Amino acid sequence: MPLNNLRGRVAFIFDEVDFDVDQIVGVENIKLKDPAELAAVAMSAYDPEFAKAVRTGDILIGADNFGYGHPHYPPMIAMRHLGIAGVVAESFSPGYWRGEIAMGFPQAACPGVRQHVSRWDEVEVDWTALEFRNLTTGIVLPIETLAEGDRLMLAEGGLIGYLHAREKEISA
Amino acid sequence: MGLTIAEKILARAAGRERVKAGDDIRARPDFIIAYDFPGYTDVIFRQMKEDFGIDKVVAPERFAMFIDHMVPAINPKEEELHQITRDWGTEQGVPVYERLGIGHQVAAELGYATPGSFAVHFDGHISQLGTFGTLAIGLRRHLLEAFVNEHILIKVPQTTRVELTGKPRPGVMARDIFHHIVREIGSSACRFQVLEIAGEALDHISLEGRQSITCLAMFTGAITAIINPDSRSLEYALPRARLKLDPLSSDSDANYAAVHTIDLTDLEPVVVIPPSPANTRNLSEFTGTEVQVGYLGSCASGRLEDLRIAAQVLKGRQIKPGFQLNIVPTSQEIMRQAAEEGIITDLVAAGAFVTSSSCDYCFGRIGAMAAGQRAVSTGTLNVRGRMGSRDSEIFIVNAAAVAAAALDGCITDPRKYL
Repeated sequence: MPLNNLRGRVAFIFDEVDFDVDQIVGVENIKLKDPAELAAVAMSAYDPEFAKAVRTGDILIGADNFGYGHPHYPPMIAMRHLGIAGVVAESFSPGYWRGEIAMGFPQAACPGVRQHVSRWDEVEVDWTALEFRNLTTGIVLPIETLAEGDRLMLAEGGLIGYLHAREKEISA
Repeated sequence: MGLTIAEKILARAAGRERVKAGDDIRARPDFIIAYDFPGYTDVIFRQMKEDFGIDKVVAPERFAMFIDHMVPAINPKEEELHQITRDWGTEQGVPVYERLGIGHQVAAELGYATPGSFAVHFDGHISQLGTFGTLAIGLRRHLLEAFVNEHILIKVPQTTRVELTGKPRPGVMARDIFHHIVREIGSSACRFQVLEIAGEALDHISLEGRQSITCLAMFTGAITAIINPDSRSLEYALPRARLKLDPLSSDSDANYAAVHTIDLTDLEPVVVIPPSPANTRNLSEFTGTEVQVGYLGSCASGRLEDLRIAAQVLKGRQIKPGFQLNIVPTSQEIMRQAAEEGIITDLVAAGAFVTSSSCDYCFGRIGAMAAGQRAVSTGTLNVRGRMGSRDSEIFIVNAAAVAAAALDGCITDPRKYL
């Protein structure tokens, strides 16, 4: 099953290498569960107007080793609540990657991406052509192939769907 | 071409003669370990029943639950979470260990670090079971798979080997060695790989020190760390092992993604400056930096050698008035041994606040800092807000340096007190 392309604006560029995603909501809010409460505190340290500016389908851009540290789920729960459709980063830290793919939240590794985007550019991730396209500037960059398990997880909307799909596969 | 210890363990867990890095396999975890935490275990227990209709886990003797966060509970909601865990354990026939200490350490004490076994958790610091030749991987919420399926789908990871050579100087501890490894190879050098620690310098690093090093593997990007068993690790692990397995080791001609050699001879104590575990510096660059709080504990540090050296620094001295020194042994067993050795007496006499084992200081649930405060810490992380206000700061150092800072009120080379 092919994955749907992501298409949206660049909602924010995280320039920091080894970015700790917990900073998006602040470690003090890491035990919040309600997506609306999390969304209300998200990005306050980076751009207090973020929630107003972002719209459904927008995409985040990250630097190398995005998600480094000891990541938790609330930051991206907040981001999804605000409409963020996925993250494109130069590379990802494994714990973060595994956690968010299991949530069915698309992540694409695209070396060099940060040099070729500006905030609010219109961009697209094409999983079939394995391309990241900046539709505003016309620049096209290759993205890394998803592992088969990760692709299936995204196609099934996350871990639960993935495990059900595997159940069917095992019983078949 | 030979095989790595990780490949051998996964081959056994998959019931196959051999597997190699990159293979997609179905492996049966020997142990499924977790601590209760909102959004993890409570969700997994519910999903197992509601989404998969599974009432009982397969082979409950493989499972172990720990209650080590939110201990003691500070509100009814936290205690209710613990009650959910206790009830689940009773219903499933799964042991729930509580008030014994930090689970990653207690798991080793209780024999879950069986050499040659494959263990999974949601938390990556379980990597420290690798000290004993166990391949222990943190899967985050993907751990659910091990609750609903006897086998989990896993890609056999590549391995990067780090050979440690030379003899560390006195006062240079395992924390210095680990953070130096990050400085040398980088914070993403082992991404999606296993970090294998080897080399003659291991002869000079205690099992406790090895636990510190393997605990922190994630900060090199690795999914876990492992050390080939030797006589010392087997002497500890085999008598308490929960499974009868042959210990496994990497072949001399195993295929590694990379091999790094790091000489420890000239290593000085280090400090990891905020706000990232990737920021290793020489401690000497930061001596004199004022600090108000010290934390000696966590799953990474807080073992007997850490407590011993802190006592050595503090014995017969008094910590600086107003300095808050929190010392939290990693397990109650360690606390007991420290008490027997008289270490606790020395720490308390010097003005340290020594408490029973809990994870809670490490993430600021207790002992939280206010804006503008600064800590020296042996905790796992130094990101903004980890131990209180996002405008407080955490400098990670070894246990001796925490104790020395408590005397001077600033970052200090601990060797002057040793």
